[in-house]
Amino acid sequence: MNSLNFINPFGVSEDPGSYVGDFYTDNFAKGAGEGTLILNLGPQHPSTHGVLRVIVELEGEYVVRAEPVLGYLHRMHEKMAEVKTPWQYIPNMGRVDYLHPIAWNWAQVGACERLAGIEVPERAEYLRVVSCELNRISSHLMWWGAFVMDLGGVTPILYAFEEREKINDILQIVTGSRLTMSYFRFGGVSADVDDRFVRLTKEFVPYLRERLKMYKALVTDNVILRRRLEGVGPMDADLCRRHGATGPILRAAGLKRDTRTDAPYGVYHKFQYNVPTGPSDDCLGRYMLRLAEIEASLDIVEQAMGSLPPGPVRIDKAPKAGWKLPAGETYFAVEGARGQVGVHLVSDGGKNHYRVKLRAPGFSNLSLFAEAARGVLLADAIAILGSLDLVIPEVDR
Amino acid sequence: MTSIDHLEQIFRQVGARLVSKPDFKTRGICCSGLVPAKAIVDLAKLLAAEDHTLLDVSVLEAKEGFLITYHFDSFSEPGRLAARVLAPRENPVVPSLHSVFQGAEWHERESHDFYGVRFDGNPNLVPLLLPEDFSGPPPLRKAPGDLAGLADLGVFDGSEILDPSCASLVPARPAPPAAVSEARDA
Repeated sequence: MNSLNFINPFGVSEDPGSYVGDFYTDNFAKGAGEGTLILNLGPQHPSTHGVLRVIVELEGEYVVRAEPVLGYLHRMHEKMAEVKTPWQYIPNMGRVDYLHPIAWNWAQVGACERLAGIEVPERAEYLRVVSCELNRISSHLMWWGAFVMDLGGVTPILYAFEEREKINDILQIVTGSRLTMSYFRFGGVSADVDDRFVRLTKEFVPYLRERLKMYKALVTDNVILRRRLEGVGPMDADLCRRHGATGPILRAAGLKRDTRTDAPYGVYHKFQYNVPTGPSDDCLGRYMLRLAEIEASLDIVEQAMGSLPPGPVRIDKAPKAGWKLPAGETYFAVEGARGQVGVHLVSDGGKNHYRVKLRAPGFSNLSLFAEAARGVLLADAIAILGSLDLVIPEVDR
Repeated sequence: MTSIDHLEQIFRQVGARLVSKPDFKTRGICCSGLVPAKAIVDLAKLLAAEDHTLLDVSVLEAKEGFLITYHFDSFSEPGRLAARVLAPRENPVVPSLHSVFQGAEWHERESHDFYGVRFDGNPNLVPLLLPEDFSGPPPLRKAPGDLAGLADLGVFDGSEILDPSCASLVPARPAPPAAVSEARDA
């Protein structure tokens, strides 16, 4: 119509009064009250951990309404499953959740094994537990560093990275990678551990226990951190139930629900470990709970490494590349660092999956944010987001 | 009465057409039922009153239509159950569970994105994971030639038939236990 459209290909008028926003802002603005401000956070915003976008309606500094906008990292993993064989689909799982890839690896391999009725050798089961728990520790540490950084404390994340590098050094020995790990194969794991793996793991457990004491003294007991988190963002069991929240959020609300003990898989039943609950359902409670879970995971790793049985790490006639799943339907879930990771698998007996539905715990956990953030300060809303431990590629899949 | 029998009773109470109690160790669900679309909200209310949570909503496209599976789990006594609704391939509409489980909103929006299933009563059925200007058929829909029948997929394996019109969904004979030696590549 005029030269302005040429300069601005989005057709946005230069008159700020006439411009409201894009589709999602407009959709959100429909319910806005008088005299409130609509603010867009993300998708490129440091506190949103990647590409989460949140639209908030503010009255002064208080959040009246909030709505996460997803999809900026959607990669159609479920569609890919329908054009890939189970073997080809294994590496996808490491890309769904980059902080706890081994849990997703387990969920997918476990679902296929369950459908085909494959049993795994005992040594492989132990190694699965060790690798999954080490990975859980590194995920929780990464969350810890990033969360404290969200709150304004920049230093802890550097410490968190140091510990995570140590775990990556260990897991790299067997998985060959430091980020998108895939260690599990149908009928076992890809490689047996060597002496270096055993030595590094046995050294790491007492090392991290000592470091956790330091983190408690320096960060957890810090009065600024506590004032920032105490009583912020309470999420009770009923809120969790209505939104399907699982994992640390639910356990912080006081419910002892953990897939490792509720629907036992692997050899978790052979170890004595604590499933921590509480101490409170606010941000501080979720913080304390995840630190307690690191200690519980260390206990599991220590016991598993101490009683590692000899034997093969894969069944003799493990499925090969052209393997076809038998027709049928199954659901397999494992406990990831963020909650219950589920794979709903349907096969028609063909070469590719007929349908794979991935249940991402972060998806359900994030859906309660709109309700939890109502009426809080914007700065507290950021703390609540951080306390959910979001991994956006997992939410968007 | 065990809790699984109790869940089966709840399914019967809302007029389930098919109901089964699969082996949790092989299927990952302890109770499964196909209910009429109009009964799904009542079922959700009964489950919500007994401390259940909605884990996910999974859509399966088959020859008979869209099978929408709601996975629930109990907070007080863990055991996953699958409540299913069959929606026709032409104009699939089912009631929304948003009024009972607010977390259903996103699961339903995702299913609407990928399969074009409409959820009546969802307060905000706008694209969730797809861009708002996405055009073209819902991306997870299959070509008609690629569709399998629900009986062949074994979803309702071993179900008790309460509504004879649904008998064709149940595999004629129980599927043989999956033997590793047969399933393996030659």
